[in-house]
Amino acid sequence: MNKDIAIHLKNITKEYPGVVANKNVDFQVFKGEIHALVGENGAGKSTLMKILYGIEQPDEGEILINGKLEQINKVETAINLGIGMVHQEFTLVPSFTAPENIGLGQEPRNSQGIIDWKGLNKLVVNIAEKYGFKVDPSLKMIDASVGVQQRTEILKTLYRNANILILDEPTAVLTPQETDELFTVIRTLVDEGKTVVFITHKLREVMEIADRVTVMRAGEVQGVSETKNTSIAELASQMVGREVFLQVKKDDAKPEEEILNVEDLWVHDARGLLAVKGVSLNIRKGEIVGIAGVEGNGQSELVEALTGLRKTSQGSINYLGENIASSSPKNIRRKKIAHIPEDRTNTGLNTQLSIWENLIGNSYFRKPLSTNGIFNLKKIATHSNKLKEDFDIRAPNISLKVKSLSGGNQQKVVVARELSEDPILTIASQPTRGVDIGNIEAIHEQLVQMRDDGGAVLLVSAELDEVMAVADRVGVMYEGQIVKWVNPKEVDQSQMGLYMAGIKD
Amino acid sequence: MEKFSFKDVLVTFAGLLITAFIAWVLISATGNNPSEVALYLYEGGFKGTRNIANSLYQATPLILTAVATLISFRVGMFNIGINGSMYVGALYAGWAGYKFTTLGHFTHVTVCILIGMLVGAAWMLLPALLRVYAGVSEIISTIILNFVAVLFVSYMANGPFRADPIAPATPRILETAELKQIFPNSQFNTGFFIAVFVAILAHFVLNKTTFGYELRSGGDGLVGMYPSRFSSYLGIPSDRSAIIGMLISGALGGLAGAIEVLGAVRYFFQELEFNQGFDGILIGILGKLEPIGSVIASLFYGAIKNGGFYVDYKTDVSREIIIVLISILIFFVSAQKMVKGLEKYPLIKKLDNFFSRKKM
Repeated sequence: MNKDIAIHLKNITKEYPGVVANKNVDFQVFKGEIHALVGENGAGKSTLMKILYGIEQPDEGEILINGKLEQINKVETAINLGIGMVHQEFTLVPSFTAPENIGLGQEPRNSQGIIDWKGLNKLVVNIAEKYGFKVDPSLKMIDASVGVQQRTEILKTLYRNANILILDEPTAVLTPQETDELFTVIRTLVDEGKTVVFITHKLREVMEIADRVTVMRAGEVQGVSETKNTSIAELASQMVGREVFLQVKKDDAKPEEEILNVEDLWVHDARGLLAVKGVSLNIRKGEIVGIAGVEGNGQSELVEALTGLRKTSQGSINYLGENIASSSPKNIRRKKIAHIPEDRTNTGLNTQLSIWENLIGNSYFRKPLSTNGIFNLKKIATHSNKLKEDFDIRAPNISLKVKSLSGGNQQKVVVARELSEDPILTIASQPTRGVDIGNIEAIHEQLVQMRDDGGAVLLVSAELDEVMAVADRVGVMYEGQIVKWVNPKEVDQSQMGLYMAGIKD
Repeated sequence: MEKFSFKDVLVTFAGLLITAFIAWVLISATGNNPSEVALYLYEGGFKGTRNIANSLYQATPLILTAVATLISFRVGMFNIGINGSMYVGALYAGWAGYKFTTLGHFTHVTVCILIGMLVGAAWMLLPALLRVYAGVSEIISTIILNFVAVLFVSYMANGPFRADPIAPATPRILETAELKQIFPNSQFNTGFFIAVFVAILAHFVLNKTTFGYELRSGGDGLVGMYPSRFSSYLGIPSDRSAIIGMLISGALGGLAGAIEVLGAVRYFFQELEFNQGFDGILIGILGKLEPIGSVIASLFYGAIKNGGFYVDYKTDVSREIIIVLISILIFFVSAQKMVKGLEKYPLIKKLDNFFSRKKM
């Protein structure tokens, strides 16, 4: 069968200073298919899509849309060619409603040139109904759930007559249920004749939704296959260039005495609203306790409270028999509690500083790194180079600014620093966010290693797979409370999804 | 901080070329001979002991204000008020210069300088505290305090500290409070060495001590990023860093003013005008917010400034045009993206790697 080719990127090469982002990439998408584009961070997926969407220009290569050679040198051209992109970070005006956001810049006008709001609402509702969406035209985006916001973004591209939709990691922010809804939407879109390019690094989703899949690694296409003829393991090994264990290898936990005991903890968020409502949990030496849940259910505030970055309102945090609630981050750090924060770029690192300056953030004051307040740069270099080696931070030297590292390597700097001072308790919040699969594996191994060496670990993650694979016990957080404690070996994903949506059994 | 790279050299060079071209057009347009002006600019800046001494004299306060700027910037505070600190520092150093009559030379100079620094630092206390405890933008408060400083010193010179019944000025400082002028017919004085010493000290403290690390952990290139989540996360009180950084910054501004009065002007008068506090911001940025880089940039700026005076004296070209040219130069030199496209050439890449390599 000869299928029409909607997109054909031919021999695309794009070089950035020092990196070849795309090297002779050939990328074909058939009309009416769901095509997954997978690869690690820095594999060149985003660059390729930016080239297709007119944000970047290729150094070499051609772009054919529906068989016609096109020069896409600005986003407008791409939109006019019927290409729509839903970015990972939404580009919505929070104080606008869905129709206002969707119509922005292309509002229907009446004969006097005044925006026809009613017409716009009707238009939007019509488009939505055609593709089986529901929209509430009066709901402001600030009050809308992430899923609704995403659907609004998709509608925005449809409003602009997109025939080819590029979805950049659309499921990263969704619950399992919302993901299912999104997949339904995508299938409807394809039934209506649209073509969908789906960027992700979750292979399970690829197998579930995509017709074909293109795997990229280090700027090159590693393989194109039909999903029915391939497997997760095969795709994973194409992605990283070697066999990958999707399961974390670990023995059963051998928990010993209690390290942390949180009792009835209440915490307010930055707006003064209650975010953590009476959480109790305990962590023992030699175990990893996981906190699962959709983001924004109080996990961030819980972690901030435990690490001293946020004052607690009520309750106690007993660490080795001492109440450390509302203690300062400095005191808490001195008690050998390590913290891998969820916000890497602003909290976990100062990206303007060099690698070594970031690596010594929790040890610069101690001998031999400094004596009487003066740095011993040689000792610091030895210390930092050892961490660079041990944690496989890929950088030419440790004087490089952290901002020039890839996301995964930046995260390794954080992990290396936090695990370097022999912590008794490690609190890891979204430790693998934006990290590619090879490095995810390494970080998971390090957390398990911490546990096996007699450390206690609290792992907070919105990635359900991660919590289930790494943690020994999992609490599901919903609206500021831990609604359920489970043994990850005894529940399945769909059950977890229900708990995460606040439905108790 | 980012180290100097070949790219910077290239940008600076390109900026110089473009500025030279604009200068040529501008000076020709005013009916003067560009090459003659260029010659005088060079002679005024670099030729002969006297000109060199004067260039160094011009550079002295600039070194201090540039270091003052970069310290505040590197703790994440956007301090625009160094000029104000300079005024009050100058006034009170001048006051101490005539007030203490029984001190020996060394003690007297030291006391005057310390008072100048103390007052300069105190001038920054309010904006620092307002920023940390009330969230008032330090940009706004320090700009406002610049105006306050001008009016305040003018009032003091006219009122409480006025000595001369005819002119609004303080009494001349005593000889024991003078920083020695070394060369004849030049206002170059030992304050220059103090300034260079301060810059070296700043370099050491910022880059080689835990105190400096704590100060800049939250900022360092992220200007205006106070309060830093990174610092608080590491358990480094960024409030303290911000306040200390502002105080040091103010103290160095005060020191710049004190040296002007003790080393060159020798008394404080109402019309005394400073703008080095503002020039220091440009120079600090030009020096990549590194103390040593700022010293080099100050020396260059000082020489051009002095050359400008010489051009003004020798030709019809006014010294303002030199200021215009300096501004254009800075404009182009900070245009980093200008050479961005060149990075793909292997030669440039190689040279860049060579110049930016470091041992660690």
